[in-house]
Formats: sequence, C-alpha cells, structure tokens
Amino acid sequence: MNGLPVADRPAIRRAMVDLVGRDRRAVAVMLVLHIAATITGLAAPWLLGTIVDEVGSGAGVGTVDRLAIAIAGCVLAQCLLSRYAQYAGHRFGERAVARLREEFVRRTLALPVSVVERAGTGDLATRSSVDVTTVGVTVREVVPVVVIASAQLVLLFGAVFLLHPMLGLVALTGLPSIYAVTRWYLRRARTAYLAEGAATAELTEALTTTAEGARTVEALRLGEDRVVHGNARIGQVWATRRRTLALRSVFYPVVEGSYALPIAAVLLVGGLFLDNDLVTLGEVVTAALYLQQAIGPLDQILQWMEQAQRGLASFARVLGVGQVPPEPRGRVSVPRGQRLVVRGARFGYADGPEVLHGIDLEVRPGERLAIVGPSGAGKSTLARLLAGIDTPQHGEVSIGGCRVVDLDPAERRRRIALVTQEHHVFIGSVRDNLAFAAPAASDEQMRSALAAVGADWYDDLPDGLDTQLGDGARDLSPADAQQLALARLVLADPDTLILDEATAALDPTTARRAERALGSVLAGRTVIAIAHRLNTAHDADRVAVLADGRVTELGSHDELLRADGAYAALWHSWHG
Amino acid sequence: MPPQLPHPHPGIPDTRGPLRYIWWLVRCQPWRVLRASLVGTAWMTGLSLRPYLISRAIDDGLRGRDNRALLFWVGAIVVAGIVMAQLGILRHRTMTFIREDATARSAAVLLRQLSRIGAVLPRKLAAGEVATVGGSDIGNTSHVLTMTGPGVGAVVAYSVVAVVLWSISPLLALCVLLGVPVIAVVIGPLLRRLERAETVYRHQQGVLTTRAGDIVAGLRVLAGVGGRDLFARRYATRSQDLLAEGYRVGAVNSWIDALTLAIPGLFLAAVVWVAARMAATGDITIGQLVAVYGYVAVLVVPVWFLLEGSYQMIRGRVAARRIVALLNLTPDHVDGRTAPDDVPGSKPSGVRGRSRPGGVRGRTPGGVRGRSVDDAGGPPGDRPAPTGPAELRDPASGLVVHHGRLVAVAADDPADASALADRLGRFVVSEVIWGGVPLTRIALAEVRGRILVADHDSYLFAGTLREILRVRKGLGDDEFRAALRVASAEDVVDALPEGLGTPIDARARRLSGGQRQRVRLARALLAEPEVLILVDPTSAVDAHTEARIAERIRTARAGRTTIVLATSPLLLGRADTVAHLRDGRIVATGTRAELLDRDPGYRALVSREEEPDPGAETGGFDGSTEFAPVDVEGSLR
Repeated sequence: MNGLPVADRPAIRRAMVDLVGRDRRAVAVMLVLHIAATITGLAAPWLLGTIVDEVGSGAGVGTVDRLAIAIAGCVLAQCLLSRYAQYAGHRFGERAVARLREEFVRRTLALPVSVVERAGTGDLATRSSVDVTTVGVTVREVVPVVVIASAQLVLLFGAVFLLHPMLGLVALTGLPSIYAVTRWYLRRARTAYLAEGAATAELTEALTTTAEGARTVEALRLGEDRVVHGNARIGQVWATRRRTLALRSVFYPVVEGSYALPIAAVLLVGGLFLDNDLVTLGEVVTAALYLQQAIGPLDQILQWMEQAQRGLASFARVLGVGQVPPEPRGRVSVPRGQRLVVRGARFGYADGPEVLHGIDLEVRPGERLAIVGPSGAGKSTLARLLAGIDTPQHGEVSIGGCRVVDLDPAERRRRIALVTQEHHVFIGSVRDNLAFAAPAASDEQMRSALAAVGADWYDDLPDGLDTQLGDGARDLSPADAQQLALARLVLADPDTLILDEATAALDPTTARRAERALGSVLAGRTVIAIAHRLNTAHDADRVAVLADGRVTELGSHDELLRADGAYAALWHSWHG
Repeated sequence: MPPQLPHPHPGIPDTRGPLRYIWWLVRCQPWRVLRASLVGTAWMTGLSLRPYLISRAIDDGLRGRDNRALLFWVGAIVVAGIVMAQLGILRHRTMTFIREDATARSAAVLLRQLSRIGAVLPRKLAAGEVATVGGSDIGNTSHVLTMTGPGVGAVVAYSVVAVVLWSISPLLALCVLLGVPVIAVVIGPLLRRLERAETVYRHQQGVLTTRAGDIVAGLRVLAGVGGRDLFARRYATRSQDLLAEGYRVGAVNSWIDALTLAIPGLFLAAVVWVAARMAATGDITIGQLVAVYGYVAVLVVPVWFLLEGSYQMIRGRVAARRIVALLNLTPDHVDGRTAPDDVPGSKPSGVRGRSRPGGVRGRTPGGVRGRSVDDAGGPPGDRPAPTGPAELRDPASGLVVHHGRLVAVAADDPADASALADRLGRFVVSEVIWGGVPLTRIALAEVRGRILVADHDSYLFAGTLREILRVRKGLGDDEFRAALRVASAEDVVDALPEGLGTPIDARARRLSGGQRQRVRLARALLAEPEVLILVDPTSAVDAHTEARIAERIRTARAGRTTIVLATSPLLLGRADTVAHLRDGRIVATGTRAELLDRDPGYRALVSREEEPDPGAETGGFDGSTEFAPVDVEGSLR
C-alpha cells in the first residue's frame, strides 16, 4: 500500500516562508508592536534598579513615588501595546490557518482516485481532522507565544548588554547547555511524540470498536480477547509515554539547572565590577532581575516545544497531500461516438501480480452487457479500466476512438459513470446531495429524478429538497442512500453506466428495491453490469464470463446456455 | 517508582459517584501519591529559595562589598538551581506516573466493562459517547490527580512565603498575601470567558473539520460523478466564516490576555512602591526590597496552581461522571427488559429491528421497558441446558429444527428473519424451547457457547487476519485455512501482501463487501458451535462462489445443526429442509423442490419474478429514523 507523502524539512521551510511572505505587512506590524510592548515591559526592572540606586544614595520618598508612578505607566503602556500586537498576530494566524485548510481541501479534492484508493481514506481522514486541527492550534496558540517569548528573550538579554557589555556576555552562561540539550531533545522528540499520539489513538480505537462491536463480542464470546487486545494497547501507550518521559527527564533538569547560572554569574561578576566602580549596584540588581525575568519566556518556549513538535509533524502531513501530482487534466479530445472498445488490455496493481491478461471486448452503444465470474477473476479491475480510473499497462481502452484516460476528467465523468456498492450521503441538504452532479438542474428536475428512481421517501421529508441529511440530522437507510446516488446519476446523465455490484452490500430485499430503481436509470444507455446475481445476466443482451483475468465465454444468455459451458452449469444449479 | 502497566488486575472501581471514582484512583496508589505530595511540597517551597538567596547576595555580598559572602551566596544560587531542577523532574516524573497509572486503570476497567456488557450496549449508549470517554474523559479524570502532589505543595509554599514576608514587614506581607489571591480570583473569570469564547470557536472548527472529513469520505463519489469544484468552494466559504469568527474571538481575547498581564503588573508596581518607600525610610534593606519583588513572582505559582487545579477538578468531575455512568451499565440478561420488539414505531423491514444508538434518548423512559422476567417463566439460569445436541423449537413462528440438520429459512421479510435469529440465539426474550427446556431459563454463557448467531453484518475488529479468525483457543493456521476454504475465501488471503499475518483495520474497510462477508463466515465456522445460525451469509458473493460455499458448508457442518436464513436458490438448494417464513409464521416446510411445487409464494420469493409482498417491503422504508441503517461497512450497533 502506497501511503500519502509527508513533506520534508526544506518543503516545510518553504511553506512557512510562503505563509509569512503572503502577509508581510501584518507580520511586520505584529513584530514592531510586540517589540515595543516588550521594551516597555523591561522598564519595570530598570526603574526598580533606579529606585535601588536612588534609595542607596539617600533619595527621599518623593523620588520613590515618581518612579513608582512611572512603573505603573509603563505597565499600562505595555498592556495596550501587547493587546494590539496580539490582535495583529491573531488575525495573521487565523488567515494563515484558513489558507492552509482551504488549500488542503482543494488539494485533497484534486487527488487522483487511484492515489486515494492506494493510500486508503483512513490516512487522509486523519490528516483532514487531526492534522489540520493540530496545525490550526499550533499556528493560533503556539506560534504567538513563541514569537512573543523569543522577542522578550532577545530584548532582555539585549538590555543586560546595554547595562554593561561584560554583564551581557556573562549573562550568556547557561545558554550553551540549554542549546545543546534542546538540540538533543528535538532530534528525538518528534518521532517519540508521534509514536505516543499513534498509541493513544489506538487505545481509543480499541475502546470504541469494542463498543461498536458489542453484539459480536457477546455472540462470539470475544470478551477476553478484547481485554487482551486492549491491554496490549494500554501497554503500548505506557511504553511510548515512558519514552517521551525519558526524553523530558534529561531535557527539563538541564534546562532548569541552567536558569540559575546566568543570575549567579551576573551577581558574581557584578561584585567584582562594583569593586572597580565599573557598574552601580542598581545596574547589577537590574541585570539580575532581567535574567530572573527571562526564565518566564524561556520556560514558555520550552513548554510549548512539544506542541510545536506535534504541529510541525502535522504540518508536514498536511503539506504532503499537496505534493501528490493532481489528476491530469487530460488532452482535449472529443470522442466520436460511444463505442467502448478494449484491446489486449493487461493490468496489474503496482505491488501485485498481473490481474488481467489481455482482455478484448467491444460494447455497442445502448447495449446491456453483464460481466459474471468468480471472485478474484478481475471483474472490478476491468470496470476500473473501463471507467478510466486505472490505465492498462498494455493494450488500451477507448471510447469513440479516444483513449479513456486521455479524456478530460470532467468530460469522462459526463460520458462514463461508475457505480459501486459504496455510496456516501454528504452532510447538507437533499439539494446539496444532488446538485453537484448537475449544477444547472432545477428543483423540478431534481424531484423528477428522485421520482424516477422510486425514492418515495422523499415525499415524507419535512422540508423537501432543503431537508438536511447526515451529521446528527436525518440519516438515510442504505437503500435510500443508494436511491439518492442513482438520482444523482439521472441528473448527471452519462452515456455509459458501469455498475460494479452496485447493490451487493444491501440485504436482499433492499437490493431488490434498489435494482428496480436502477431500471429507470438504465433506459437508453450503454450498461455494463458486474453482477453476482444471475438474473441480472439473464436480462442482459450479452454476458461475458471472466475467469482468471480472461474472457472465457461471451454471448447472449441463450447462446451461452446452448454452449453448455461454465455459465450454463452455474445457471442450472441456480435455477434448480 | 514507575508503575507496572497494564495492571494485571485493575481492581474494582468505586462507581458510586465521580468523586468517589477519582478517590479510588488515588487509593490505588497511596505511596506514590504520598511521595508526590512530599516532592511537590519541597519543589513549591523551594521556589521561594532563589529570591531569598539573591537578596542575601545583594545585601551581604554586593552592598557589604564582601567577596567571600558573595561567593558563598552565588554558589548557593547555583546549587539551589541544580537541586530545584532535580526536584522539578522528580515531581514531573512522579506526577506522570500517577496520571498514567490512573489512565491505564481507567482504560482497563472500561475495557473490561465494554467487553462484558454485550449486545445491550448500543441501545443504552450513543455511539460517540465511548469515543469521548476514551479520547478525553480518561485523560481529564487523570489530570485531577495532579492536585494530589503539587496541590498540597502549593498550600505549604504559600504559608512559607507568608512567614518569610511577615519577618520582613507585616504590612507588606498582608498586601502580598491578600493581593495575589484577589488578583487570581479577578483574573480567573476573565480566563473563563476566554475559554468560553474559544469553545464557540472550537465548536465551529469542529463542524468545519466534519465537513472536511465528509469530503474525504465521499471522495470516490465525487470522483465518479464530479462536483469537486463545488465542494471546494463550499468548504472555502465555511472556512471564511470561521475566519470571521476567529477575528471576533481574537478581538476579545487579546484584551483579556493583555489585562491578565497588566493587572498583576500594576499590583507588582504597587507592592514595589510600598516596599521602596519603606526602603527609603530605612524600614527594610535594599536586598529585602528586591526579595519582595521576587516573592510576588514566586507566589504566583502556587496560587495559579490552586486556581488551575479547581478548574481541572470541575472538568475532571464531569469526565469521571461519564466514566462512572458507563461503568454502571449492566449487561442485558435477556430477561425481558430490552427486547427490540418493544421499540415503538413501525415494523422494521429490510433493516434489523435494532434502534439507532442515539435514538434511545429521545424515547420515553417507559418505551424501552418490556416484559418482565416472570413472563419468561422464571429467572434465567435456573434450568440445566440439554446435555447433548437437541431439537430447537420456536413457537412464535412454528419453526422446528431437528438436531444435525441443515435448515434453510426463506423469509419474505428480512426483518422477520432477523427477529427469528434473535429469538433462537436468545438476544431477546422468547418462548424458544431447546431440548425441552425454555431457552430463557438456561444460563446465558451456556447458550452463547453452544448457539451462535452469525449476523450478516457482524463486526470485524482490527487485527491480523489470524487474530480476526482466532475465535477460540487451540486454533492454528491449518484450521484457519480449512475454514477459509469452506467460505471460499482463499483468494482473500492470497490477495493480502502478508497472507494471514496481514493487519486489517476495524470493519475491514480494505476488503470488498464480498470479501468481508466470507471472512465473517469463516470466523463463524471456526467457532464450531453446536447450533450455527447464519443470517444472509452470501448476499454479497457472486453466484460461482456462492455455489461453492453452499456445497462446502453442507460438508463442513455435517452432523451439526445449521440454520441458514437466506433467499438465494443456491443456498436453499443445498439444505435438508427449507422453511418459508411469511408474516412471522412458517407457512410451508419441505425440500426445495417440494416447496417450489407446493408454495407459489416461495416460488415467487426465490425466483424474484415478482414482488412477493409489496406491503411488507415498503413497511421499512417509511423514513423512520428510529431504525439504524445497516452500514455498508459492517454496521455500527
């Protein structure tokens, strides 16, 4: 199974630069405001240092009052500046997230079907829910904190430099150890946290699936099995959490131990400088307070590191979807006619053996062709080739003289529709569920399409076409959902229909009902039906028997009965 | 000391209430919690050490120009830093152990409960509930335990700082000790508002995420029919709405954020002002002035901690309540309380007569109640099961199944077939007699062990194919392959990259409908029950394969009772006896040929030349949301 790609580091960096680049002005405003806010924030310790000096030199209460009012003023100014800085950052974050998720959905919609099928929709579903959300949280919550904290750190250390360059240099003790341990940590954290997240999700899944399959658990007495299975997941979660804890057990103490170093160093060196009158006591105190103050932002950055890691990992997965080349637009070629021709088609899935070994088949316009054969004979694969989802490695499939895969996807869909047993009711109104097949369809056309497929449940809907379906609103039964899908086909009005066991997943009565509804859709079209019910074959103009990737029998029902081959044998056993 | 997880015996939870449950999680690890309290206290108290040491370094070392004293205090700062870092990680590790122990314990007891409770679960619980419990409630509950360690420490630390401040100046001590909690209480509600605004945003975000998931789920439909651009545009419009909401939230939140910074800042300024005046008049030293500044910062930690803790407590209690509710569900003893036919509404048809999980809530409380135990003729489990293979008799329909036979039941209405299977398998109360004993009065475990109902949509759990098939002990690859052969599913294994060892996701979404059905059949056969009831075992399988399966089931189940509920001629043709079920009653019995001869309704049913009973058919499609749609993927029950 080929998974979807995950973006590598250079791609992530490019995407980040791009996000900032698209909103350069907002980013600039945000940075300027944050820096201004931080500078006013630095004033408090500096004024405190001044108070220390003034009091030390015997200043009175009046000076203290003035300086105290100045501190209060600075706090208020900082409040205003940081508010607007945050607001600007917030808006930037929102825009960036919106762009990311819209881009993600756009790229997802452009994915070629074969890629989606190979990768499985599970991965894509996780990316669309967990990863997009994680990136959103990271951009909205983590990035602002990290940006502000970084600005504060730079300015705090810068301020110590301003007090005295030597104090500034001394203040940098502690940073090497923090830098080294952070690098060590980040190298390992990403995989460790990804594993932790995956293990946690698996535990949740173990619980939910046990609940979903409760009846089966009871019937087959699988209770003990489920406990063993779940316990293994609990053990897995613990193993992954211990791994991340082990990483933190190195990371946190080194970082926290390093916090005290610059303060101690500044006090020590400050004492020596005081002796030589290079600095005042107030300046040393201010420097110590700045460094004490730096612990806050440093801690914040390090605390958010986990989330930032997660965000980065998710970001890589979100971007990865964009790295799949979108479905090719196809050449602009207009088929002449509707004759569907398969010539010497051979096909095998990427990692498997050849499934079809040279198929030759011609479907006349308006003909009804049934394809029967045992499971694994390659019926569905043939249907996919006919619908242009996969391309044969040898030979070709063409409609009206044009290779099916060369058609523009939109044009192809208009001509050939593939109906499988999968159907999906989209969240939204009945109209939403029909309109995308034929955007120009009127309400009247939609209603008559529903009537054509026998969707009499429509009459009971409270709001007609505006009735909401799915996601806590109304749920359709599988048969109703299948009828909705068929009504969509009536509206889309393709020339050729390929039915791949369209009703196989329904229970017999429901299937019967859906098949009846199909009848009205099929009228006047070329129909290729893959069927496991022989009565479908009986009704077809011709029957093709597929076995081991080859067409072994081809002809009308009566011809095949006369030929007395495998089909005839099956028909007799079926018919008794 | 790290806990040993998973617990071999998670213990019996106290489910009398959410707080009792949380207390149980605490009681399960008393020593660890005690250690956490000690370490937490030491760490929190230790936080006030640094301001004190700095003030001594300033007063004794810098102001007094005493380099030896300076060296001593600076050394003390470094040592204290290292000790505090060690204490900090010790605290974090201990707290992680406590939380993880609680998480593993909650998960383990929930797992046992979910595995034990059985078929009744979907009727009593909304589908998303377990996901919420598993996804966030367990974690939120465990987080409450964080209070046990640093919670105690916060109180002690607060007191220590109080004493130290008092020794500097009672006036300052009063200002700080009262001021910090007051500010926390003022800011707390502001933060709550922020959280509320975020909740609205998150909800909208969740809706948008659902939409994206919806698009992903329907991707193949869109690829087949078109309309991708429309969906992209529609999503973009919604995304822009969320963006606008985000701006609104941001406008409010940035004010709150700024105020939460400014209010403590102003308070600090006021304290410094008072302290500086005292320093100017000589009441306190310069070092003490700086220390007061530091203490205020330090005090914020325990006060915030307590405030955070109280919110965690509120959240954890809600979470624990949901866990307790789940743990308090009792398994259905099929003593009549929850028979599906009690569900009000129209007769289900085509769809199993089970209620939609979420639908239970909307019903009147009395609606789910049904017949009592007495109606079934006595308490369950009071009569011994038949010692050997025995005749099964269902008075409701008139079906009699002799031991060792392959009986096919063709039902006009699939709902009748499901109801029959539920009765014979004792998923509901019924008058079914097994070897002369009322089925309802035999111990349930005995029934489950000997009679198996294999639903056509029975659940496939995630795991390797081998794990999926291992339904009882002592089964090996030979047995698996034999059963897969009977189910004509060898090709399913051959198509998988790692054969029997290939991992398959829950509901086997990777497999096609026909493949899933054959795997289910193989699994049911491997259970080798005395009585096997197969509901529509081959409806998604092609005729070639179906013919093979019909023949092989017959051979594989020779000598044991097998009941097949289906209308396929290929299956019916292989049965010893065929019974025609119409309007809930068996109207004809005989061989297939006899029935074709005698019973025109049966003939119509199996040949599908005409609708046997249009009335029964439309009954189920009245759009009633009471009934679950059979999920194509294998049903969420």
